[in-house]
Amino acid sequence: MPELFWRMMKEEWRIHSTMFGQISFALFPVMIFGIVWMSAFLLPMLHASLPQVDLAFLAYAIFLSLGFMVGGFGLLGNEMMNRRFGQASLLVYSARSLPLSERFIFANFVIKDTVYYLLLWVFPFCFGYIAASPFTGASLQKALLLLPTLALSFISGLCTIFLLSTLYVRSKAACWAAILAVSLSLGYMVVLNGSNPALNFPPYMLYMNFSWGAFIVACLMLAALFSLSLLLFSPEQGVTTKQYRGLLRPLIHRFRRLPNPPLTAKDFVDLHRSGIGIGQAIFSFLLPLIAIFLFLSLIDPYLPAHGFFILFSLITGVVASTMYTWVTEFDSFGAYACLPVATSTLIQSKVTTFAILQAIPAVFIAAAAFLTGEGAFALPAIVFCLSSSFFGAGVMAYLCGLSPGVLIYNVNVLFTYLVVNGAVFAILSALSFANPLFASISVVLLVPALLFVERAMSRWDSVDPIGF
Amino acid sequence: MTAVLETDNLCKRYGDVTALDHVSLAVEEGALFGLLGPNGSGKTTMIRLLTGQIRPSGGSARVLGLDAAREGIRVRERVGIIPEQESPPSFLTAMEYLEFVGTIRKVHDIEERAEKWFDLLEFGDKKHVLCKDLSRGTRQKLMFAQAFIHEPSVALIDEPLINLDPIMQDVVKEFLKGYVKSERTVFLSTHSLEVAEEICSSFAILHRGRLLHSGSVSGLMEAGEHLPEFFLSLVRRGRDA
Repeated sequence: MPELFWRMMKEEWRIHSTMFGQISFALFPVMIFGIVWMSAFLLPMLHASLPQVDLAFLAYAIFLSLGFMVGGFGLLGNEMMNRRFGQASLLVYSARSLPLSERFIFANFVIKDTVYYLLLWVFPFCFGYIAASPFTGASLQKALLLLPTLALSFISGLCTIFLLSTLYVRSKAACWAAILAVSLSLGYMVVLNGSNPALNFPPYMLYMNFSWGAFIVACLMLAALFSLSLLLFSPEQGVTTKQYRGLLRPLIHRFRRLPNPPLTAKDFVDLHRSGIGIGQAIFSFLLPLIAIFLFLSLIDPYLPAHGFFILFSLITGVVASTMYTWVTEFDSFGAYACLPVATSTLIQSKVTTFAILQAIPAVFIAAAAFLTGEGAFALPAIVFCLSSSFFGAGVMAYLCGLSPGVLIYNVNVLFTYLVVNGAVFAILSALSFANPLFASISVVLLVPALLFVERAMSRWDSVDPIGF
Repeated sequence: MTAVLETDNLCKRYGDVTALDHVSLAVEEGALFGLLGPNGSGKTTMIRLLTGQIRPSGGSARVLGLDAAREGIRVRERVGIIPEQESPPSFLTAMEYLEFVGTIRKVHDIEERAEKWFDLLEFGDKKHVLCKDLSRGTRQKLMFAQAFIHEPSVALIDEPLINLDPIMQDVVKEFLKGYVKSERTVFLSTHSLEVAEEICSSFAILHRGRLLHSGSVSGLMEAGEHLPEFFLSLVRRGRDA
């Protein structure tokens, strides 16, 4: 196990470092550390209006959601791995040539990915806050507690979605039953106890009142969830000779007025037949946003009137912008190398598919608006959500082309992405807090979004397609 | 005869590695040209350069009079390609993949043409099966069909016989021999020296990115040599040099 694990760690390092240099990849956690360290100095200014304890909620929500968004390992059969990495000779394929089971190799793969996420995101975040605590007046003891508890928060999200996605692949009914059971328990807490379930989130409870016993119990529960997911995981999703009725041609006809009907049609056939479309919508969109909603509602009293809903629509937009990653993760350029298709055409088609998928956040925000009694602001909230999503995706397309899942780990790329989005979203949030109707102004973001996509098309046409 | 594929001092470097080193060659219309070489000799790089998938570090490549680097899309519109590794898209059926290719290539009678290929390569029973569930051999047949479905005047094919059974290899070889009779050109990259000797009219040998030799197969035979022995002695000499 350690031998394979370390080789997979090296392999992951080389995948990224050969694409954009060892230093750039190594600087990634340093940058996260730096951003958090500097941001920590702003906290004393926020404490006047927002208690420190409630700010900690946001960190737990962010890392739980990150865990949710990356935990869909159950959806990755061999076929998905092939599509994600191309026909590369990665160690994860070695079950066929080595005396190792697929499940064993997959366990190593998931643990490797988890460790990478901890090293690249969670730990630098915590160390940045810890390093700043002597200067910001924050309690060092509390700062140190973030390290195990935020890691637990991230792993909780990851293990939950790993289990649900595994169930989803095995039996959709079982998956829905599990989601229903969890929803009912949460609903019970809300309705009968009148308490926000987020307050009973174990990592947050540990942060408030740490004990080694509770910490060990939490770790054991996560280990049990992880083991159960592995046990249920089916590495080979059954090769069959099942005959399928043609879906492509009707879809090409339906999309005939769009720029690249066959490419967009193919994207939707992929999303449908792989199960990834619905899977990602549940695991990478719906569940993270429900978690964020629960956590964010705790700071509602400290926000301006309707500010909570407007902020939630912005966050939904940011999460929705990652749908660009869903549609680009399917294909490598190599699959189109034998066809007269330019990289720019592919980017255009992926943006088109992305645009159609934006119906999901639009419906989600509309539903949330009416369920939370914010129906009057549904329209500006939808505009804010979709404009932010298109802007985020445009920036992503410009910076990463067809490989956002890989190039986002380039320190220059992530820094530019955070600065550009951060600045724009901060200004628009401030305006929208002043008056929720001002959220509609965000529609102007569609212009730079379009420009970013156009620039992305010319930029990525002028370089050799990326592959590994 | 007109040269339909030409390279002039073509170079490709990946960092410190030189994949192709000043290669100049010409392939005439109607030729069944074999590009031979050991692993890593630059054959796949050559095909990728000729089809405009990557840009040269130096020199130029022209296909059907078009500059491959600047007009890659127009080159790929006019040629057929079987790439070295890529499989057809996993979640399309075999029929859907040919429809997909046909729509992109603006082939109007795609269904009829697809049926002809299903018949020729004997995989009509798999046309509604997802590509991910096809055997490697059937995927190779499908890749072969997509490369020729628009009847291109030039086809660049990388190891087309790999994964095919001997009967199907024979079908493909006969097809290729017939294809070039109508003034169309096939550029074949292969390790199989016997196949090259059997079907190719001309050939070139690459080794470590350099062109060691180019000429006609008949000329070689007239000189009393056989391609496999000629290739091996040339490459071994190159290795020792």
